[in-house]
Amino acid sequence: MGQTLIYGILNGALYGIIALGIALVFGVMRYLNIAHGSLIILGAYGSLILFRLGIDPFASIPVLMIILFLIGTILFKSFFSHFIGFSEGNKIKNSLLIAFGLMLVIDNLATLIWTGDERCITPSYSGISFEVFNVRIPVIGLAGGLLALILIFILHLFFTLTYFGKSVRAVSQDHEAASLMGVDINLTYLISFAISVSLASIPSVLIGLQAFSPTVGIRWFNKGVIVVMLAGLGNIYGVFTAGLFLGILEAISVYFFGAPYREVTGLAVFVLVLILFPQGLFGRKGG
Amino acid sequence: MRINFKNILLIISLIVFLVFLPVMIKSEYLINLSLMFFLYVTLAESWNLLGGFTGQISLGHSAFFGMGALITRFIWLGKIPILLALVGGGISSALLAGMVGVPCLRMRSAYFPIGTLALALIAEITVGNILPVPGSLSREYILEYDIYSRYYLALSVAVFTVLVIYLVVYSRTGMAIIAIREDEGAAAALGVKTFGYKVLSLMISSFLAGMGGGIFAYQYVSYYYNSPFELSWAFLPTLTTFIGGLGTIVGPIVGSMCFLALSEIFAISLGEVHVLIFGFTFILIVLFLPGGLISIAKQSRKRINIRGKKLFKHV
Repeated sequence: MGQTLIYGILNGALYGIIALGIALVFGVMRYLNIAHGSLIILGAYGSLILFRLGIDPFASIPVLMIILFLIGTILFKSFFSHFIGFSEGNKIKNSLLIAFGLMLVIDNLATLIWTGDERCITPSYSGISFEVFNVRIPVIGLAGGLLALILIFILHLFFTLTYFGKSVRAVSQDHEAASLMGVDINLTYLISFAISVSLASIPSVLIGLQAFSPTVGIRWFNKGVIVVMLAGLGNIYGVFTAGLFLGILEAISVYFFGAPYREVTGLAVFVLVLILFPQGLFGRKGG
Repeated sequence: MRINFKNILLIISLIVFLVFLPVMIKSEYLINLSLMFFLYVTLAESWNLLGGFTGQISLGHSAFFGMGALITRFIWLGKIPILLALVGGGISSALLAGMVGVPCLRMRSAYFPIGTLALALIAEITVGNILPVPGSLSREYILEYDIYSRYYLALSVAVFTVLVIYLVVYSRTGMAIIAIREDEGAAAALGVKTFGYKVLSLMISSFLAGMGGGIFAYQYVSYYYNSPFELSWAFLPTLTTFIGGLGTIVGPIVGSMCFLALSEIFAISLGEVHVLIFGFTFILIVLFLPGGLISIAKQSRKRINIRGKKLFKHV
């Protein structure tokens, strides 16, 4: 049981990081980026290429971050900047459709370039784990958890201390008022979107170290969106907590129902939450 | 599409042509291709009722398609005529929609696509776990297998689907659901029972999708039980309808035709190049051409008319 919980927590941290990227665009601009999972898988292939060139997966994160930031900028400029002024419902619907097309494009492009085979990055330390109090902890999972904590700390500093972080929060609360106070909404949207895409680099590497193929992106997106809906909007700690919650919930369900229903548990909880608590479990209203 | 003499003549001659196609050309390849086309049209038209006319974009249509396939297959293999089995498959899909789709309609409408996507994934995984082996036909069923009966059944289901959609859309119900798409709040304020009509649209749409699934189950000798539940069956009608023309009756047919043509052109290449091209076209259409390919034809016809009138003036 303790072992199950540890795996749940480590997986949950990964879900939390995926969800942060989705929550950033959804919270600030009400864009629902279904292609986020596919971008993560794209990053995983990038990390695989760098690994074959002899770069350690964890060292490749900064490189991937920059590349994905640029990709995010290009995607926003070419596809996602056309409906900034729409109403909330229309923004969700349009962004979702565009991202849906984008997801198909990225997935099939990846299949064309790298074939549909399952890949995995295997550095020398990939199977190593150590034992504490009768519980085995895998090194890579632990590194992922630590990365998640560091990431949340940095994001927190970014949102509370920098001018740009404050403008992002202002826009997410009330974009009209923010623009009246002199915040450049277009720039804020652009940077938020690009940061969200560049945040995909960390789950890229962590998923790359497990296993991935071109079409699994949507499944990882689902994990992320479940967490975002559980957490509600406007609170990065809520997102991380909800991630851990989902991870532990899945682990417990594996313990009782067996591994095949792991994904079903999360999805079923998600549907229930959407019906019963439209504002999310840990969410505040608005903001 | 207006009902006038020219259109009726066009439709009847098209149907007659499709009825006599297998008699005229004895090509199994062509018949299989047309079968696929009828299946795509059934699926896309049924999706269009919910997504195009009611404005509820669903990414979980595969759940209803798969449910129809599953139930039709079991009823049919229980020595019951395929027509009854098809209806049974359709009804089971509509029931599934009533049980799990209706709660999704209660969500805020912007979350409907994600909610239905989650349902489709749940269905795919669950069916894959319960029935992990491929289902094959027994010897006696294979001996009496005949592609022509499949062809005509698929054709009639496709025609039936288009007819049902037409009758629904040009009725009082159709006016109500289009009003919901345009402005749900305003429709409710004018006395339209929006939730009831959304449920009705969802159930008709799933019934037809279930019959499409039944065709799939009738056509294939052997397949994994969860393969009609795969997400690609949910993405396909979304793509073809948007590209052909959302909220029109001809649109999904045109979209399916283009999709099938592209997939045949790129059939030998690795991966799914046609989906890649369609995905990209889909983005462009959502951004720049919300009326789909149909609207190009309409515009050019209008332009030709205007030019014709100008010419006439000069003369």
